[in-house]
This record gives sequence, structure tokens and C-alpha cells, in this order.
Amino acid sequence: RRSASLSPSVSAGSACLLLWLCLLGKPPGLGGSLCTRGDSGCPPLSVADLFDRVIQHSDRLHRLSAKKYFLPSGNELAKSARRCHTSRMLTPNGKEYAQTIPREELTYVILRLLQAWKEPLSHFDQSTVHHQDLSDDSLSKAKEISNMVHELKTGVEKVTEKMQSMGIISNSLNGMGSSEAAGLSISNEANLMSNYEFIHCFRRDSNKVQSYLKILKCRIMPGNSC
Amino acid sequence: MKRKLSPSIGFILLLFLNTGVSGQSPPGKPKIVRCHSPEKEMLACWWKPGSDGGLLTSYTLLYSKEGEGQTYECPDYTSAGPSSCYFNKKHINSWTTYIITVKAINEMGSSISEPHYVEAASIGKPEKKKSNKVVMLNFISFSPGQPPGKPELIKCRSPEKETFSCWWKPVSDGGLPTNYTLFYNNEGEESFYECPDYTTAGPNSCYFDKKHTSLWTIYNITIKATNEMGSNISEPHYVDVTYIVQPNPPVNLSLALNKHTDGKLYLLMNWSSPPLADVRSGWLTLEYELRLKPEEGEEWETIFVGQRTKYKVFSLIPGEKYIAQVRCKSDHGEWSKWSSESYIHLPKEFRLKDMMVWVFVAVLSSVICLIMIWMMGLKGINMVACILPPVPGPKIKGLDAHLLEAGKNEELLSALGCQGFPPTSDCEDLLVEFLEIDDSEDQQLMPNHEKGHPNKNLKSGNKETDSDSGRGSCDSPSLLLEKCKESRIPPAEFQTPDFSETQVKAAGKSSQETQNRDPELKLPDFNSDGVKSSTWPGTQLASSQIPKGSYHNIVEVCKVAFSAMNVNVSAIRMGNEEKHPSKYSKNIETICEGEMTQRRKGESFHSKAKADQALQWLLPNEKSPFLSDKPMDYVEIHKVNQNGALAVLPKQKENSDKTEIYPIPGTTKEYAKVTRVVDNNVLVLMPESRVQGMPVFQEPPKESAQSLHQSQAEKNMSYCLTAPSEFRLQTGGLEYMDPNSFMCSFK
Repeated sequence: RRSASLSPSVSAGSACLLLWLCLLGKPPGLGGSLCTRGDSGCPPLSVADLFDRVIQHSDRLHRLSAKKYFLPSGNELAKSARRCHTSRMLTPNGKEYAQTIPREELTYVILRLLQAWKEPLSHFDQSTVHHQDLSDDSLSKAKEISNMVHELKTGVEKVTEKMQSMGIISNSLNGMGSSEAAGLSISNEANLMSNYEFIHCFRRDSNKVQSYLKILKCRIMPGNSC
Repeated sequence: MKRKLSPSIGFILLLFLNTGVSGQSPPGKPKIVRCHSPEKEMLACWWKPGSDGGLLTSYTLLYSKEGEGQTYECPDYTSAGPSSCYFNKKHINSWTTYIITVKAINEMGSSISEPHYVEAASIGKPEKKKSNKVVMLNFISFSPGQPPGKPELIKCRSPEKETFSCWWKPVSDGGLPTNYTLFYNNEGEESFYECPDYTTAGPNSCYFDKKHTSLWTIYNITIKATNEMGSNISEPHYVDVTYIVQPNPPVNLSLALNKHTDGKLYLLMNWSSPPLADVRSGWLTLEYELRLKPEEGEEWETIFVGQRTKYKVFSLIPGEKYIAQVRCKSDHGEWSKWSSESYIHLPKEFRLKDMMVWVFVAVLSSVICLIMIWMMGLKGINMVACILPPVPGPKIKGLDAHLLEAGKNEELLSALGCQGFPPTSDCEDLLVEFLEIDDSEDQQLMPNHEKGHPNKNLKSGNKETDSDSGRGSCDSPSLLLEKCKESRIPPAEFQTPDFSETQVKAAGKSSQETQNRDPELKLPDFNSDGVKSSTWPGTQLASSQIPKGSYHNIVEVCKVAFSAMNVNVSAIRMGNEEKHPSKYSKNIETICEGEMTQRRKGESFHSKAKADQALQWLLPNEKSPFLSDKPMDYVEIHKVNQNGALAVLPKQKENSDKTEIYPIPGTTKEYAKVTRVVDNNVLVLMPESRVQGMPVFQEPPKESAQSLHQSQAEKNMSYCLTAPSEFRLQTGGLEYMDPNSFMCSFK
């Protein structure tokens, strides 16, 4: 069942990879046949389409994390939430900020966020033995979330590279390296969080990612659906 | 209620004495601190308890109206707070002074406070005069207030994920103006800030603008209510703006009817996002939901639309008026309120199919109606007659018009019970007189009216069989005509045998009923033509004038006789036929003319005449050539009146189909039996059974000569009974006489 639910994410990630390969390596235009790995003739996906896919993915991710049974009531959680490990990250906390900071910065923030959660989620999976207060459903959901995050990150990376290749954003960012480093440092603190805090924090961050992606997309490509 | 001091003091002393040992004492005297009216027609009183004497003390507030003795207890000890009593308008309702006391009770005893007077008039009434107010205030509210209750935050909402507002519920302020302050604390920060804006969002609210709103942080909000007596702080409320988004309802909902490619009508709904929500930048992602219902309907049909701002509705009822509303929701927020209603009135569909059905039904029904009318017309059904049946004419009971038509005069007349047929008049006598058998009176038939040869000539051909000159003369219709025409023969004159009379009588036999037939007949006045009227005593041909000398006027003759004959018939048959007498005359004319012209053609005149069987036409002189061929005509005696006059009928018995009855000359004879002799000169004859003669004479005419017979037979209506100048005695017996021998008939 996990594989079935993950297949959309897998396909999204693989599609992104494939498209990237198509874009980089092979010239398009060999007809409308199915795209397979390494095959030529994949129709080029625009950045907008890529963005749409990524955004859809993040939407799914957030919905999954916001399930009721997965979370306690708002006030209790708020009371218990001391600090998320990503709280120290400087992220725009309003629309104006998100619209004014440079695109590269925004992209970088997204990537960092995703990266920051990569570790804790995998740790969450591993340390499920200690988390007895969570139901089995919650545990399975957590695994699913972990995979999705991974795929989403991959997808965003692809988009970033595409944008960089198209000149939409500059290459001035240090790229994934810095995000990786930042993520690692943060993720250690994640172990101190309780389950509910963990989930709450993740829910928030997935919302951030979703919002940033939407803002970014409409900044880069204003128009339809924006 | 005033208490006397001395007993109370004594009581207290006693109590003190009692408690001096154990340390417990009755309660101290409470004191009413203040009475205040927070709202109109409501009152709250507070007291300050005295010492409780070391025991659990309970307090009771008692009040009474001035002038009344009845005491009531406080209805509400809690609403106004501790040590208070709350009256609502149910209890404070009369304009008197209320006296309030508080009683403190514990195990040891009780004590009562001083009475407190409250003017009911001062409660709830707006203070008009300031001085009064001051006084009142002094009187009523002089005590300090109560600390406020605990406020409570109702909700916080953000319409566009950029700002938000919070609302709280006000609390009972204990009589004093209360201040509310909102404090919030950001997640991760230590300091509390106060609400930046208390007004924008309305009363009891706090509005956070963009500067003060930060997403993805949890706000810790508390409200503090403060008044003179104290303050109270609400429970903390945690808010994350991201999850409290409730947008405003969508706007500009437009409904339009469009035609689809296949001709169907659909409703196109268009709306736009609320103005504050920033969807263009992707900051907010809204999802919409529609709902529709017909105006008269009860249930809404809700449709989730998603992120689009337009929608097509297909399954609508034409002719209905629809109401539509739309609302929206952010991804994880709450649904907005429904937008204002939009209406659309769908036109009634003019379906060609429906119209075709109605057209078809209309055409079919009209065709059916036409067919019915045509069929009714075809069958001659007179709808008017059916609906409005004609008034039946006078009908003689027992008289069957059909019988008359058929010629069965005997039955007819017998049914009538008419004894007067032939009419009892002088004519009868005359008839009788004609029966005088007198050889000498050869010419008696026409004693006075002998015209001579012409007449005889006319009649020469008629009854040659008998070779009876007298009879011949008698038989000559012209003779009779001659006689009748010559002068108005008074009845007296007709005492003598008069062929004409007989003839006339016979002619008018059928029209016998009344003696006054003048008015009935509508014949032309022959008198004007100089025709001698046959003044047969008013009966048969009363008004029918026998043409005098002009045999030329055959038609008139015919008419006369015909009409005379027919009048009665028509009178009888008024109900059956629709012919008018005028018509009748026309018919007569036609018939007469026709008969004249078509005699030789064999036309059946017989059929034309209605009562032809009874008719014997006065033959015109033109008939003479035919008359010569005419054989001897037998008559049958139809009736004998009291005077012994015979009414004879030519031998034409009716047939239903009016077959020509023509006498076969010489074949059979009708015999009459003499029953008696009257007055020595009158023979009363009784007709023999006619049956034997009937069939013979009913042979339908088939020959060319039949017309002759027909005409003769038919027309020979008149009879002439004369005294048989010549009679032949049958060999069969004396009692049988050949009626012909004394019969005079018009030929």
C-alpha cells in the first residue's frame, strides 16, 4: 500500500529527473511517444508545468500532515510547541517579505526547509519504537511523509536548476551545499522535540514551502492561475 | 419593618453571653452597602456582612413594599456577585418604596440589618434633572463597585492572511465602567504588546494590521477587563494566523443564460474573488462552492467548484426563478459567508413538440366536429328540432293521419266517430233525395242546370257502359259542374236531386269534419273569376268554388277539388306534414297542371295527391276524349247518412304505395244492398263488403292506358247520387242494385 500511495510522488520525481535529462541532453522533437529514461523525444516541460507539479506535491504533503487524527487540537499543540528546529531559520513571515526578497533567496529558503526536514523524518521513522503514543496509522503516515519530502526536494532542485539554466535566477547561490549544511545542523535539534511538536512544526514548514512555491511561481510566471 | 432596639440589644447581649464561653456567637449585623440599577427596571443590592461569629453564616435578603405587610425573599443571589441580590422587573414593578433588609443566620442565631429604602420610582427612569440625579445617585448608588467578571475571547479571524482581528465577549461589569485591554505575545518573544487597534473591527475587538501580523507564528492573546474595583484576565488564546483564514464572500455573482452547441440552454455563473484576497500573487488559494435552488424550492443544491470562478449549470427547469449563492474558502481555513443572492428567471421553453401536440389535438377535434355536423345534416336530423322540439299541433285522438293518407277513410272516419260524414246537413237530404228511384226523372239529375249537349257530350264518354242517358248525363261531370257553376244554389234548391251537390259533397267528403271550412281553405277566390260558387251548404266545398262555366280553368277546378279535399287532410295532418296551405295550393296547381299535361304520359298523378284515394277530380272538359274510353265506373258506397244519402267512393281503394286504382270496366261490380226504404222514395243502401272488389282494383297500373284510368279514378272524387232514373236490376236479386244506375259521377 505504501508503494501505491507513493507512486505519484515517485512518478513526479522521476518525471522531473527525466525532464531535466531531456532538457540538458537531448534535443526534443522526435514525436509524441512515451517518454522513458534516457529516451529522446520527450516533450519539454515548461517551468510553469514543473512548478505546478511541485506545487501539487507540496499540497499533498501539507494535507497529509494536517490530518486531524495526526494532530492534537490546536490549542494544546500551541501550548506544547516551544520551538521548532527550523524556527531559527530566517524565513519571510508575510506576503510582502515573500514578494520582495530575491527569487534566489526564496528558492534557497525552500530548499533549506526541505533539507532541514530530511533528517528528522528519517530519524522519526527509525525511532518509532519509542513513540508509543502514536497510532499505527500515524506511523505509516510519517513514513509516507518522509518519502514525499524527499521527492519534493528533488523536484524543487530540478526546477531550480531549470530556472538557473534559463537564466531566470542567477547561479549566485551556493546551491545545495549550503542548504545541506544548514539542514544538518538543525536536524540535530529535532530529536528533542516531542511527537506533537514534531508534527506541528512539520505542518507549519510544509505550509511555508507551499506558499513560497506559489509566490515564486507567480513571480516568475505571472498569468494563468496566478 | 422596624425592630425595636431594646429587644435586639437584649438579644445580642444574650448572644454575647452565650458565645463568651465557646467562642462562637451569632452573626453580626450585616449592612446594606448599596443598591443600584444597572439597567432599566432592574435592581441590584449589595451588603457587607458583619462578623460571622465563627460559624457558617448564611444571608437572607428580605424586601417588602411600603404599606404592605408581606415580605419577599431575594430572587437572585448570584447574578450580581457575592453578597448581592439581583431584582429584575418582575419583582420591581410598582411605584412604591421598597424596604430591604438583610438577615444573617448562623447556628447560634441571626441578626438583621437596618432597613434600606429604595424608591421604585427611581429605578429605571431616565434621570431628567441633574439635581434629581445627583440626589438619586446619592440615595441609591453610593457604594463601591464590583470587580469585573472574566472576559473571554470569542474568535480571531483573518480575511486575507495578511491581517487579523479578535473579538471578545463583554462581561458583567458589576456596575462600573470596564476597560478591556488585549495583550499578545509572540512566539519566542517574551514581551507582551497591547492591541494596536481597538476600533477598526468594532466594539470589543482588536485589529492587527499587516505590520503586526506575522504568519507562521503563534500568538498568545489575553484580555484583561478592568474596572474600579478590580480587574480580570481571560484565559490565553493561541492563534496561528495561517489557520484562521476566513475570507469574505465572493462578489459579482452574475447569472447568464447561454445556448449550448446542441441547442440546450445552460446557466453560466460567473463570480470574482473577494476584493481583499490576493489570489493573483498566489498568496491565497481559494476554493469556491455554489448553491442553487428554485425560488419556491426548499433545499439548496450545493456544488463544489474548486478554484475556478465560473461554472455551467445544465439541469434547470425552464420557467422557474432561481436563486444562487457562492462562497469561498482558503486551503486550510474556514468557509466564508454566502454571498448575496443572485436571481435569474428562466424563460419558459417553447418546445415545438408541445405545440405540435396541441395543434394536432385541435385539428382532430375540429375534424370530428365537422364530420358529426355533416352526418347529422345528411341524415336530416334537425338539431334544432331535437333541442327545441316543436310544439305539437292539434292532434285528434284516434285519428291516424297515415290512415287518411292511405285512403282508409272508413277506418279513419270511424275512428273519428264521426257520424256526420257525410256531413249531416241538407246535403244528406239532398243525397237522399237523389236516391229517389223514378223513371221519369231521367234528367232529374240536372233539372235546372241542363245545359244541353255540351254537358252531355262531355259525359258521353264516361259511362257509356250503362248506356243510361240519365246516368250519362248524370255521369257527366260537366253537367254537374254546369249546374254548380251556374248559380249559387241555395240549400233549398238542392233539395232536388242535384248532381252537383252530390258531386260537390262527394268532393268535399274528405274534408268533412267541420262545416266551416271557409277559413281553412286558402284558395283563390274563384268568385272573382266569375265562377259560380258551389254553395253547397258550407260544407265540403264551402269556399271552394266550382268553376262555373269555364271549363278552361281546369287547374282551378283541380285546385278547388284538391284543396277542398286536402284541406281537411291537411288539417288532420298538420302535425305530420310541413306543407303549408299555400304550398298546398301550389301543389295543387302543379298537380293539376301536371295532370293535364301528363295524362297521356302515364304519370302517376295518383301518387302526388295526398288523399288521392278519396278524390275524384272534377274532370275538365278536356277529358272528354278520354272519358269516352272510360268504362263504366263503379262506386262503392262509403257511407250512408241518417237521411239516407249515400256517400260513394269511386272504386279506388287506397294502397300504401298509392297504386293506381282504376276500375276495370265491367269486371266487377260493387254492389250495395238496400236495407230499407225511407219515406217511400228513399232507398237506404248498405254497402256490400268491399273486399271482393278491392284487390282487383288495386292493380298497379302498368300500361300506358293506366294513366287514363288513374287520372280518372283519382280524380273522380265527386259523386253523384241521383235518383236512379235507370237502374238495372241485377239478376242476383232485387235487393242488389247497381249503384251506377243511380250514380252520377263526374267524369
